[in-house]
Amino acid sequence: MELETDILVIGGGSAGSMAAIVAKEQNPDIDVTIIEKAEINRSGSIALGMDALNIVVQPGITTPELYMNSARIATEGILDYKPSYVMAERSYSILKRLEGWGIRFPRDEENKYISLQVHAKGSFLLEMDSPDLKLVLAEKVKEAGVRVINRTIVTKLLVNNEQVIGAMGFNIRTGEFIVCKAKATILANGGCARFSLPNSGYLYGTFDYPGNAGDGYSLAYRAGAQLTGFEFTQCSPLIKDINCPLLYITLTRGAEVVNALGETIDLEYVSTQNMLKELREGKGPIFIKMNHLPEERIQDIERILFTTERPIQKKFWENRGVDFREGLIELGETEYQLCGGHGLTGIVVNEKAETTLKGLYAAGDVACVPLQHLTGAFVFGEVAAEEAVKFVNNNDLGEVDQNLIKDEEQRLLNVMDNNKSGSISVKDFEYKVRRTISDYAIPPKNEIKLKRFLWWLPRFRDDMKDIQVTDHHELSRYEEIQFILDSAELSVHASLAREESRWGWFHHRTDYPEKDDGNWLKHVVLEKGLKSGEVQTLLVDIENGGEH
Amino acid sequence: MPLIVDEDLCTSCGVCVDRCTMDIIRLNDDGFPYKKYDECWYCGVCEEDCPENALIIDLPFQVK
Repeated sequence: MELETDILVIGGGSAGSMAAIVAKEQNPDIDVTIIEKAEINRSGSIALGMDALNIVVQPGITTPELYMNSARIATEGILDYKPSYVMAERSYSILKRLEGWGIRFPRDEENKYISLQVHAKGSFLLEMDSPDLKLVLAEKVKEAGVRVINRTIVTKLLVNNEQVIGAMGFNIRTGEFIVCKAKATILANGGCARFSLPNSGYLYGTFDYPGNAGDGYSLAYRAGAQLTGFEFTQCSPLIKDINCPLLYITLTRGAEVVNALGETIDLEYVSTQNMLKELREGKGPIFIKMNHLPEERIQDIERILFTTERPIQKKFWENRGVDFREGLIELGETEYQLCGGHGLTGIVVNEKAETTLKGLYAAGDVACVPLQHLTGAFVFGEVAAEEAVKFVNNNDLGEVDQNLIKDEEQRLLNVMDNNKSGSISVKDFEYKVRRTISDYAIPPKNEIKLKRFLWWLPRFRDDMKDIQVTDHHELSRYEEIQFILDSAELSVHASLAREESRWGWFHHRTDYPEKDDGNWLKHVVLEKGLKSGEVQTLLVDIENGGEH
Repeated sequence: MPLIVDEDLCTSCGVCVDRCTMDIIRLNDDGFPYKKYDECWYCGVCEEDCPENALIIDLPFQVK
């Protein structure tokens, strides 16, 4: 299939759906196409909804400036001013837009939105009641007249003279090769959830949606865009073994975290790092305790946990015989991930969602707007759409080099052909890649350890010729292994470059154990070297917007 | 980690196949869903969206 569109959105999750809807709002005559790896009704990180909108600045209650103070503390200074300020400034209109679509935000007896404090300063998290959020988004996409191409993995961006002019990929069921030429392209295909190995040993037992394999990071890097924050490998203390979230829902409703000594842990606005420290210091296991809460509070917690985001929890607890009224909930460390929503990682974007490549925008977990959560996905979905529409009005479709298309199609055909009788299953291969990431690319880090990963990297890439690929589903997993390897390569180079420790445990270097604000209040930016083709690292000053 | 399907209720409509977030479900020769690939994230979409409530997912042994 070969098609032309005005705006191509890669990834139809929260950010991508919003971008497509807003592009059509801006100009219904513009042709908008979403390419989605899963199926848009239930795709991305919020397939079964979300229980909160984490960052909302309510006029008269909080301010964008107060949010920026909190965000600076939470990111230890690795934060550009403008994008996060724009997110905070536009967050309330997102709330109103969602309300207009029928998403419910519960209010208290004084008719104020129920908000919870999870930031150092200010109460920005608003409760949201929306198991059907993704279905609503998909419906709006449909109503807007957006073309949706489901079950299609993008494997390469089309680039001409440092301008992105669309993308190529294939249908993961039929194998049909797809070329989509576009005047503007918005990347919204998530972070890298499949990074290190979950402690359960189950490859797909990750905290975030495992369909996100670092696709967008790899595509952007290979196209020549700049990326940043890859040294901040991040994990969370969540329900041990199943890695489902419950921290905000329980802790903001009076639950406590206790360690093996029975001591209550000081949480400082749900600091996950404090909890992880207890585990590392041998004071674990750690538990969430709720047996002191009144029955109605427990029922409220159960109602949310068992209907929204990860309702499978109900089955998990029934199987383990744990009742929140009596039992303790053991927390464990999740796998490490790279993510713009929960972390500080992503494609470099400015406040207009522009990447460093002409014609390419990025929004959501794939973009570096630190700790942006769902709010950032929606705000920058809107922003990316507005800017892409302007771009489309002033730019014609660039010229496409037909050889790029032929080469990519041939590369995929060759894998199907050559790997038919490979000796290693995609699953075994991914297991070893991710076990090696666990061994060498996550904290505690040091130079020798990080370089061990770089010893493995070319071997893995070479050994990929031995992966068995028997259908296009397996071919998509094969492509994802390349995305995971690229993400890990970027992460290791960034970790090596930052010769200090920062963001607590997540970038802890045993050979540089101190935080060094004098030298390292900077971004480590990564890009592909034009001549060498190797990862280049640059140190870039923080953009403070005139503030300190 | 099989899908548990109530064959009396299942109409082979294929919603579970269409919506699976990891694209691992297919219909067998008798028209009933099964997990073709062992890559379930136990998101619960298949169970939630089944119009006949004919389907129950189990957790993988490693995490249950």
